[in-house]
Parts: sequence; structure tokens; C-alpha cells
Amino acid sequence: MEPITILYVSFLLLVAGAIVAAATSRLQRFCSWSSLGFVSAASIGLLYLAIYVFTKGSITQPQPLLSLPGIGASLSIGIDALSALLFLIISIVSFCVTLFSIRYIRRYERESLLRFYPLLLLLFASIIGVVVIRDMLFFIVFWEMMTLTSWALVVYERESKISLRAGLEYFIATHVATGFIVLASVLLYSHSPGPSFDFDALRASFEALITSNPALVHLILASFFIGFVTKAGVLPFGFWLPNAYPAAPSSGSAAFAGVVEKAGIYAIVRVFCTILPISAYSQIWGVVIAIFGTFSIFIGTMSALTQDDSKRLMSFYAIGQIGYMLLGIGVGLYFLTINPALATIALVAGLFHMINHAWFKSCLFLNAGSILYRTGTRDLNKIGGLFSLMPWTGITAVVASLSIGGIPPFNGFASKLLIFESSIIAGTEVGAAIWVKALFVILGIAAIFISAVTLASFLKFLNSAFMGKLRGVEVSSMSDVPLSMNVSQGILAFLCVLFGVVPLLPITLVYKAISGALPVGICPTSASLFGKVWPGISVDFGTAVTSGVWNPLWVIVAFAIVLGLIYLVVRAGGAKVRKVETWYGGREHIPADVSYRGHSFYMPFKQVFSFKVRRVQFQGLYPTSLPLPKVTMPKGLRLLLHPDQWFYYPIANLFMKLNRGLSKSHTGVPQMYLLWIVIGAILTLVIILCLR
Amino acid sequence: MSIGFIVGASILNLFLALALSPLFEGCARKLRATVHSRVGPPIIQPYYDLAKLFGKEDLRASANLLLRLAPYACIVSIAIAALLVPMGTFNASSQTFEPPFNNYGDTILFMYLIALSAVAVILTATASENPFAFVGASREMVMHLTVEPVLVIALVTAAINAGSLKMGDMVFWYHANGPSASMILAAIFLFLALQAQVGKLPFDIAEADQEIMGGGFIEQSGPKYALLRWSMMAKQIVFCSVFTQVFIPWPMVGHLAWDVLINMAKVFVVVLVIALIDVVNPRLRIDQSVRYYLYLSSFSLIAIALALAGI
Repeated sequence: MEPITILYVSFLLLVAGAIVAAATSRLQRFCSWSSLGFVSAASIGLLYLAIYVFTKGSITQPQPLLSLPGIGASLSIGIDALSALLFLIISIVSFCVTLFSIRYIRRYERESLLRFYPLLLLLFASIIGVVVIRDMLFFIVFWEMMTLTSWALVVYERESKISLRAGLEYFIATHVATGFIVLASVLLYSHSPGPSFDFDALRASFEALITSNPALVHLILASFFIGFVTKAGVLPFGFWLPNAYPAAPSSGSAAFAGVVEKAGIYAIVRVFCTILPISAYSQIWGVVIAIFGTFSIFIGTMSALTQDDSKRLMSFYAIGQIGYMLLGIGVGLYFLTINPALATIALVAGLFHMINHAWFKSCLFLNAGSILYRTGTRDLNKIGGLFSLMPWTGITAVVASLSIGGIPPFNGFASKLLIFESSIIAGTEVGAAIWVKALFVILGIAAIFISAVTLASFLKFLNSAFMGKLRGVEVSSMSDVPLSMNVSQGILAFLCVLFGVVPLLPITLVYKAISGALPVGICPTSASLFGKVWPGISVDFGTAVTSGVWNPLWVIVAFAIVLGLIYLVVRAGGAKVRKVETWYGGREHIPADVSYRGHSFYMPFKQVFSFKVRRVQFQGLYPTSLPLPKVTMPKGLRLLLHPDQWFYYPIANLFMKLNRGLSKSHTGVPQMYLLWIVIGAILTLVIILCLR
Repeated sequence: MSIGFIVGASILNLFLALALSPLFEGCARKLRATVHSRVGPPIIQPYYDLAKLFGKEDLRASANLLLRLAPYACIVSIAIAALLVPMGTFNASSQTFEPPFNNYGDTILFMYLIALSAVAVILTATASENPFAFVGASREMVMHLTVEPVLVIALVTAAINAGSLKMGDMVFWYHANGPSASMILAAIFLFLALQAQVGKLPFDIAEADQEIMGGGFIEQSGPKYALLRWSMMAKQIVFCSVFTQVFIPWPMVGHLAWDVLINMAKVFVVVLVIALIDVVNPRLRIDQSVRYYLYLSSFSLIAIALALAGI
């Protein structure tokens, strides 16, 4: 089979799966399992395609499927390494999410499956569309399809007011964002040769505009930037995210964090690396992207520290971690003209973090889902000690938390290492302006600091959910979560470990994606950047010496040897083991009385970053009680917006009056009606006679 | 990269960090006793303590796996961090003063290994299910959060100056190029953070024996407690070596035995200074400490500014 056909088949499988799921939504079991079947088949196809593209080079479709020559748009499709990277994420996350949903979705007894599986499958299908389309018009079509299906998942619990409100926010924010994307595309389109919506044509349009109309280029880039980062959830544009993500069912949230968010990053890389020619504009927008990224890292993570709701905590992290990707991409864009080696490493770092984030954040959302499934609450103050009840969820949560906190040898460490190093080494670059160097170094240090805060906050999640005395679970449901849920969490946690222990493997893939997205000949070879020390990396920022290294293999070997030595020492001591009760300092307590709740964690630290400015309460630097600005409309406009007041009611009242007058003739006395008939007959006769 | 150097230097660094660290602690205790006008225990008392603890009963307040495993992670991560820190080892083939694992991990790895050791303490504490341990864990993390920026900023200053994140390169650069304003400033800030890094008064807030009965260590006993205590001692040597080698890399002669001895002498002096500060100070409250370190880290950004200006 032709590779491109596999893409169509996978796409159609997802669409067909959606239709089947919609038709059989009343048969709960069948609907779930058939959806899983369709998704797994599509996942295998996508995975094959990704491997094919990584090994044999990109695939382009010779003829567009559909052509609209009147407006210069055509459904042209191409799969390069960047799309393949996204395929990798989509295939694995979609499989895990669907597998997890099979049992998880039974929590929602009152809701119909009709509004879950078909939409989930369509969401996956639309993201596939987003990453393979090479034409702006159809890109926007699929983008919009993605927005709508994900919105429907946010409002899945249609009787919960919070969900509906979050859904409304999401709907409005993302549609304003789509408006910006449309604006930018149309502006570019109108200056393109043809005019045409094709990516190549848009690139030519940029090239022309850069010399003729620089202000317009900035406007277009700003519109693209706002449009895409709103979807990705970068503060302040991503204000909807902390409300919308927790509202969806946990597997849906995992899909949002795992793939929908990544579509935003994909689009940014596509526009700023492929469509925008490398120029002074990439530099300026690189700085802007890095600043917004770090702002997001800082505010998102700080406010996550103050959250007590497990899924809301994760959502703030989604904001924070997106910031890391943007920081890498921003640094990379800035240095494209100055030092391609540093630029490539930074871009690779950003995208590498994107893959890693897909694994650990999806895993964490699924963990939160498992806790919700078993305990029925998302409040971290009400649960505890779940490790003994669901050990597998506990272990995967530890792995994912350490990954997101960047602890070696998990995957988060490898990508954060590259992000930190590129932003710090940026400070030594001779070609850059001093303020830019200072800025990047400060951003890098902020990112390192916040990485520790991330770790702190996930320890809080682990400690309050899994450690301590068991609480928050009813005796009737004292069992582990179902196997399907454990398997899907396990797959993602395993990938966290794999990508961390063998960092050169994913980095090679990401390098292919970046060098494919950039114009040919920009990137230095992969071996010169990351070395060949399998499986470790030795990073060379174009200064002919390796400036940073990370070789997990030898570090793990050393770890194992030292661990063995220490174990021998402990063995030699020959201590006996005895089980004891918790010691409360000599007093008897009921565990529930003296438990340390999640809310109390890091209080002194949180207090420093929680303050009040006038009437706005900031919690961890995030405004929690924002007084809405009072907008007063001019009276005339308000009247105009209420046509019923000046148009409908007056007319309606007139008719009512008329009716009342007419109804007086209805007296209810038969004789009167007879009289009316007689009078009527006479009148008719008179009229007829007159007419004659 | 020669295998012989890596293996030999690794063994040396591990020996210094693990086997010799109790001796330094013994000297510090002797000093403490002298200030108190006591005779004090013999300087090899910490070895006796550890040996006794390894044989003592291992009491388990919880069945949680992490209670047992995390102490191992704590000490091993410190030991691996010791492999990344130059302690006077001289690589004859490349003519540089580099740590054994110079080509396997850099400063970022070092910082995260330190973080891992803190995480291990926190996990073993909270796995014990004791509320006092939870308070200790929370404080440990807050301390880590506020002290880490100072360490990061000091090391980033060195990295910008040296143009590399490998600690060996930083030592090489500083030793060759002589003192610079940014590095001296960074050294001062790092020294101010050292007390909290090694968990001594006035910053032993996470353990705070008199308030929360050892915090995270309350349910630790026998070998687990021994490992945690041991890692505290090793941590002291590791941090002091970072300070003495990266920020004051003089004098170094290029001869293994002499360099190691000189470094040990420098570390010994720093350990005594830390012990002296420890013995004459009362414990700060956690909120005071948080404030102190947040100010300190904001000011330490000056060192970065100087480094960027090339001073």
C-alpha cells in the first residue's frame, strides 16, 4: 500500500469509528470496545507512517485531493518529519486515552456516550488533518473542527454549571483566536502570488512583504502568534485553560494536554520556521515568544502551587510546561541568523519537551482520573494514602511527577537540560546584543527555579494523594483501578523512562523534524550538535567544544554500583525489621485528627507569592478574584439591541387591543350569533345586488 | 577520556565523599564542644554512630515501599553528585582539573541530583505517615526552593564566564584566567547559601529537633536513619568542594596527591567555619529564612550581570 493511502485509511477509520460509536451509543460495552478497535487500527497506521517518514524521508501527495481554483485553495497534503513527530504523539496518546476511557467513562452514568466517543474520535481525526494539510484555508477548517469537538468534550457534563461556564469561556476564547488566524491568513493571502492559500505561496507573500511593508508583517505575525498560543494555553491568552481542562472527563483532559495543546505548538513552529523566511523578524518574534513563554512558566507554575484540586493543579502545569517549549523555540528563532548550531539545539529542545510533555502530562491526567474514579473527588485535602490501594497508579504517578519535575534519568530532565543550556549559553554568544543575552540568561534561570517549584508541587500531589494514612475511599470500593486503566498509565510512564534513558533516540527524531521544517542547509549535522556517544548526548553549541553533556548510561551504571556498595554496608549491619505504629510524640491520636493536608504544604512560600492589590486577590501571582470591568453601554445602543422593546411589544400590544375589541362581539348567547348571521346574510345580499 | 582516570578518580571522589565525610563531621563536633567548654566526643565518633545505627532495629511505621527505598536514593544521588564535583583530581592526558564524570554529566545534572536527594528525604518522610514528618517534608521543600536559586545563579555565573556547563571546564577557566569580580561576588553569595545547603543552624529548619522532633527523620531508625545521616555528612563535603574548587581554585599544582590534600585542607577550613556559625546561632523561623533567601537570590543576579559584561 502506498504510504499516503495509509494516512487516508487511518483518517477514515477514525471517522468511521465515530459514526459507528454514534450509532451504537446505547450499547455501552460495544461502543467503547469498537471505538478502541478503530483508534488502535488508526494508531498503528499513524505509527507506521511516522516510522516510514523518519527513515525514508517526507511524503507529499502529487495531486491535491480537492481543488478550488476560484479562490486558490487546494486540499494538498504532505507529511514531513515534523508531522511525523506529531503522528507519534497522536497515535500513542489517542490509544492510551481511548483504552483508559473504556472503564472510566462509566462514572458518568447520567451522560450519554453519544457525546463522548464520536467526538473524541473526530477530535483525533481533525488533529491529523491539522498536521498534514499544506494549505491555510483547509488548515483553518480542520483547526476549527478540532476546536468544536474539544469544546463539546469540555461541556460533557451538561448539567454542571461550572462545566458550561468553562465551556463558554473556551468557546469564546478559541473563536476569537481563530478570528486572528483567519485575519492573518487573509492578509497574507491577499499579497500572495496567485493569490493562493498554499504554504509555499504564503512564504513568497512574506518574502515580498518583508521588503515592501514591514509593519504589516508584524501585524500578521502577531495575529498568528495570538491565535496559536491561545489554543496552546499561554498566559495571558490561555486564561480559559485552568477552567476548561478540569471540566472535561479525565481522559478527555489527557487528550487535550497530550495532543490539542501540541497542535498549537506545531502551528507556531510551522509558521515561524517554515512559512516565515529567516530574517530579522524571526529574531524579534523569537524574543517575544521566549518572554511570553517564561511569563507563562512563572505564573502558571506559581499558581499551581496554591491549587488543591488535582486536575486544576495539572491544568496550571499545562500552562507552565507550554512555556518551556516556547522558551526553547524563542531562543532558537532568535539565534537562527547568528548561530545556527545554538538555534537548532534550542528548537530541538523545545520540540523534545513537547513530546515528553505529551507523555507525562497525559499520564498525570490519567492518574488524576484514576483517583477520581476510585474516590469520587478531585480535592487533594480529602484523600490520602492511596498508594497501598492502587500501587500501579502510584508508581506511574511518581514516574510522571519526577519526569515533569526534571529529575534524571527521566525524560523531562533531558529536554529541560537542553532548554536550560541553550538559554544559558546564549549569554556567551558574541553576536547577540547585551540586553538580549541578559534577558535569555534571566529567563533560563527563572526556568530552572520554576522547575524546582514544579517538582515541589508534584510532590505535594504525590504526598497528599498517595502518602500518609489512607482516607477518602469508601470501604465498598476498596480495590485497585481496572486493568485497562493501569495499562494505559503504564504505557505512558514507560515512555517517560525510555525517552529519558535513551535521549539520543528522540533527539534524532526531533532533529529531523526541525531540520525538515527549516530551509535546507541551515542546521548543522546532528552528529556535530549532539555527538555520537550512544545513548547519551554531548552538546556542542557551535564553539567546537562540548559545553554540556548528559550520558544516562554511565550515570546509571555508577548509580547501580554505588547502590550495590551501600546495600552491602546495610547488609553487613544485619538490622532486624519490626513493624510499629506511627509515633505521635508520645500521645494517642486518631490519624484523621492530626493529618497534614495538602493545603498546608509550602505555606510560608505560598504566602510570599500571595497578596492583594486593591480588590484583586493574587494567589501564587494568579489573580483569583478579578473584578469584572463594568462596561456601560450608551442608552441608544442598548435600545437598539432590544428590538422587542421598541418594535415587537408595541405592535403586539396593538394587536392584543384589537383582539380584545373584537372578542367583545362574542357574547356566548346563541340568539345573538343568529342575529349576526342574519345581518351578515343581508349585508352580503346588499353587496351582491349593488355590485350587479 | 581515559578509562583509568575515570575509574581512579571516581574511587577517590567516592572515598572522600562517603568514607572521609564522617571524619570532618567529627572535627566539627569537636569544635562545637570546645565552644561549649565541653570535652566532646572523639573525632571518630560519627563512625561509631553510623556503625551502631546500621546494626539497630529497623522500625517500619508503614508498609510503603518508598519508606524503605528513598534513603538509598538519597545517599546514592549525593554520591553521584560527588562524581561531578572536582575534588582536586588532575587529568594528566588532557591537562585539566576535572571531576571523574566530566564527560557524562554537567552542572544541570549536579543541581538535579541535589534536588533528587531532597526529594528522596521528602518521599521517605511522607511515606512514614507521620504528621511531623509531613511538616518536615514541607519545610525541606520550601528550603530547597528558596536556596536553590542562589546555587543556580552562582554556577550559571561560572558557566557564562567559562562558556561551558561542565564543572571541570569552569575550574580550568578560572584557574587559568585569575580572579574576576563576578566570580568573587558569586562565591560570596554561594557561601551565604552554604549553611542552608548542608542543613546547619541557623537554617536546620527542616529537621528542627526541638520543634518537630527531627521532621522527616522522626520515623527513621536503624539503617534507614544511618543512610540519611551519612548523606547529610557527604553533602557537606560535596558542597564545600564546589565552593573551594570552582570558586577558589587556588593553589593547584597539577599533582594528584598534593591537589587532593590542598582541597581537603580548604574543605576542612570551610567545614570548621560552617560549624562555628552553626554553634553560635539560633534557628530562624521558616518565613524569615524564605525572605532572607529570596532577597539573597535577587541580589545575586548582580553577579550574572557582571559576568555578562565580561568582568
